[in-house]
Amino acid sequence: MKIEMMKKVKLHLMAALAATFLFVTACGGDDDAPDKENVVEIFTDVTLIFTNKAKASDVVKVTAKDPDGTGAKPLEVKGAINLTAGAIYTLTYEIKNALDPKDIEDLGKEILEEADEHQLFYAFTEGAFTSPAGNGNIDKASDPINYKDKDKKNYPLGLKTEWTAGAARTGGTFRVKLQHQPDLKTATSGSTDGDTDFDLTFTLNIKSSN
Amino acid sequence: MLKIKTTISIGLLAWLLAFSSQAQSGCGGKITGRILDKETHEPIPAATIRVLNSDLGVVADEEGRFILNKVCGSEADFEVRFLGYKTLIHRHYFNNKEHVDKGHAIYLAPNETELQSVVVEGEVLVGDIKSMSVNQLGRAQLATKTTQSLASAISGIEGVAFTSVGSNVQLPVIHGLYGNRILIINNGVKHGFQNWGAEHAPEIDITAAHKISVLKGASGVRYGPEALGGVVVMEGNPLKLSHKLYGGISTGYETNGRGYFTNAHLGAGGKKFSYHFGANYRRIGDRSTPNYLLWNTGMEELSANAGLRYKLPKWDFKARYSYVDQKPGLLRPSVARSIALFSQMVEASKPILMRNFSYHIDEPNQETNHHLATLKVDWASGFGDFRLLVSQQINNRKEFDVRRNAELPIINLTLSTTDNKLEWYHPEKGGLEGSIGLQYFSQNNDNNPGTNVIPFIPNYNNYRYSLFAIEQLESGSNTFELGIRLDHEELSARGRTQSQKIFRNKFSYTNLTGTLGLLRRLSPHWEWRTNIGTAWRTPNMAELYSFGQHGFRIEYGLWRYYGSEKGDINTDKILTGKDKAVKAEKSIKWTNELSYEKDNNKLTITGYANYINHFIFLRPAGLGAFFWGPGPTYIFDQSDAILMGADFTYSNRLSENLKGTLGASYLYSRNVERNEPLINQPPLQANAEFAWNTPVFGGLNLSKLSLKTSYTFRQFQAPRTITPEELISNKVQVNLNSEIFDFKDAPKAYFLANLIWEWSRGKIGGQVQVRNLFNASYRDYLNQMRLFADEPGRNFILTLNYCF
Repeated sequence: MKIEMMKKVKLHLMAALAATFLFVTACGGDDDAPDKENVVEIFTDVTLIFTNKAKASDVVKVTAKDPDGTGAKPLEVKGAINLTAGAIYTLTYEIKNALDPKDIEDLGKEILEEADEHQLFYAFTEGAFTSPAGNGNIDKASDPINYKDKDKKNYPLGLKTEWTAGAARTGGTFRVKLQHQPDLKTATSGSTDGDTDFDLTFTLNIKSSN
Repeated sequence: MLKIKTTISIGLLAWLLAFSSQAQSGCGGKITGRILDKETHEPIPAATIRVLNSDLGVVADEEGRFILNKVCGSEADFEVRFLGYKTLIHRHYFNNKEHVDKGHAIYLAPNETELQSVVVEGEVLVGDIKSMSVNQLGRAQLATKTTQSLASAISGIEGVAFTSVGSNVQLPVIHGLYGNRILIINNGVKHGFQNWGAEHAPEIDITAAHKISVLKGASGVRYGPEALGGVVVMEGNPLKLSHKLYGGISTGYETNGRGYFTNAHLGAGGKKFSYHFGANYRRIGDRSTPNYLLWNTGMEELSANAGLRYKLPKWDFKARYSYVDQKPGLLRPSVARSIALFSQMVEASKPILMRNFSYHIDEPNQETNHHLATLKVDWASGFGDFRLLVSQQINNRKEFDVRRNAELPIINLTLSTTDNKLEWYHPEKGGLEGSIGLQYFSQNNDNNPGTNVIPFIPNYNNYRYSLFAIEQLESGSNTFELGIRLDHEELSARGRTQSQKIFRNKFSYTNLTGTLGLLRRLSPHWEWRTNIGTAWRTPNMAELYSFGQHGFRIEYGLWRYYGSEKGDINTDKILTGKDKAVKAEKSIKWTNELSYEKDNNKLTITGYANYINHFIFLRPAGLGAFFWGPGPTYIFDQSDAILMGADFTYSNRLSENLKGTLGASYLYSRNVERNEPLINQPPLQANAEFAWNTPVFGGLNLSKLSLKTSYTFRQFQAPRTITPEELISNKVQVNLNSEIFDFKDAPKAYFLANLIWEWSRGKIGGQVQVRNLFNASYRDYLNQMRLFADEPGRNFILTLNYCF
């Protein structure tokens, strides 16, 4: 009799163990996808906008696109910069992430907000512009560029610059490089300090003014 | 007796040294042995052994071992005594063949228990997989490694190394495999963490460990998938019963990085109840190489653990909780999003960015915390022993990078893990012992919003159901083992594409693994272990789904790319198993170990061969054109690989107080399908160690000086080198079909020496360590930061502890 009892108790205990195991095993997970993010790191469209200071309707736009961002499709640089000799242009940008066509991120705004960590550097065919003279500041940071904007420490940013086209030419080059320089941007930092956000080279043509 | 035996066999892996002696006439008798706690099977250091009616007496070493020399007569009574334990007196017969050949182990029973202290005749091996090569680190050895990571602490074992990303993120490597091919068992359950990528170290604080065992075979049957290379088993405080209040406090300072730590623990055990608490805090600032400071290599760590035990005659309940919070910094001058900058950093002889010493941790860095709660119930029923293990873990990981919005984590994941196991250890019958178990394992991984990037890995769930059985048969001088396991794993993944579209996938894997082993006692001194085991693992989510920029690299998971006929990479769709069958990684590993042990000499030779089917690895696949310039793209790929090698250790007690150990380990590895080398494999290493128990002075009762030296060869099996510059300038072109390469030559060979002085005086003890004694400038092939900077230079570590 006693043995029977013991057996029963044992069976109950065993059942309890098994039940505990099943119980703690039963909690399942969710089925949620990650939330949508504001992606402000990936560039898909960079547009350079040259606006003639004397004639607001004279706008030259060139674009570089990488529609799949970090996907395997290569970057495409489209169009040539066609300027008019002697004209003064203001260069501004449209910098976007258009990976999600329904939700385009304006990255120019991001860069402006973190102006103290960024600087745009330029290089162009020697003498293509009467101002700035020379070949730009990618090779040497102290070379002249007409920066028209500054960060809070009074260092140049370069989202707005001014250019006076030189004599007529075809097949020149115009290169723009955006450097991200967190904790590194100083009065003397150059185009190799920090990391590169974009580095684009376009064809530069200047037609005579008449 | 049966009960004791089965209790012994549960979950313990203590190796007992043979108790051997030599027949002597006159006064040349010798007695050696090992003293262990009967309840926990832990060694009892400092127990005293005295031959009655003589002046002879010795104190057991930190592993509980002792040697009594010059014992007179053909028989002798000796007494083993230690505070808190029942004293034992044993008669030793020098002429008794039984005693001489078979040897013994001495178990001391704690006071206040009903157990008696005993000498167990014959060599006693306790544990599960006897045919496996196992190494252990006990409390005493761990005490000298308080400031090290788990991986670094166990890397002294032959065949074990660590791979790292700087000084703070270190992962164990066993026989050439690491990451999710090494299973880390923390208090009985798989450590549930973001186990992908070399930059994710297990969140484990070794000051909470009481014992760490390293199983170098494929022990997937008992411990579950992922044990392709081996298993690291970490056990917490044993929660002793009938133990008066004990505790300790330890603190230390290290010069390199100006690090400091403090930890404390407290516990006590009554007849039924036992508890234990522990906590540790550690902080270190920027470390230095012999020549320069390593910017942002500091770390902060906080951990706490608690255990509670309740024991009834047939039931034993153990509840544990542990918490680890780590904030490791990563070398700042290693961050390059563009290959141009990366090239500059790799080519520079020292980092191009420097700062003054600071404790401050900037980006890149990680913030992780890990909670682990377990409940273990043992029931000694009349028909075998049952063990239930229920556990829950939560792992939070944030990673910060140098970028726009650097204050936002770039990776922010919460992973919860459930690991439950029910095992039945059936009663021994005709020498047959074994267990049958059920296991349920599940994980739920969620990306926490607000990172401003598309998640690098998706949200996922996995559910694994397993059934396993392990049997051991003792027959004469042989122990046979057979194990079998069936796993079924269901996975579901939810992620977002680059254009923020949601993708979902559900898939499953089923696998059968087995192990077959033999332990053969060839002679009283020689043993041969052979084990052949299979192991498997499912491809992890990072291997399947990672997409996008990771440092200067662009990475594509197996289901995120496909090759065109020309060998170009396409990433315009998300694949599933229907488009590309991604097979589970399967390995078969054969381990052989020959060991010899006699008197003062111990020799172990381990040889192994591991063949891995569908080995998943990351490899360069070409140069892509991106906004920031050309960038190397990497793909996850599958191939068959082989890893073969040997480990060797020989130790000799040169005199009563001087012990020398020599060791070496060599690994040959190859991707056999592509017939090319594997990357990041441990190079040939040899080491020599001397430990000297110096004469004591100034009232000290222990003074031990150890010199550990190692020579690491250059990895001559490394892949070819293509410098980033050669890639940028298009001097060398790579595509999907090109041979594997690395960006920098494997570093030169180097010699390292560490000096440790340990002392104790009553309850107070301490250590003085000098790591990298000769201030060598070197780079470690397995450290990813070797591309950018040297390893830390000389480091003095002072620790002080008080125990009661």
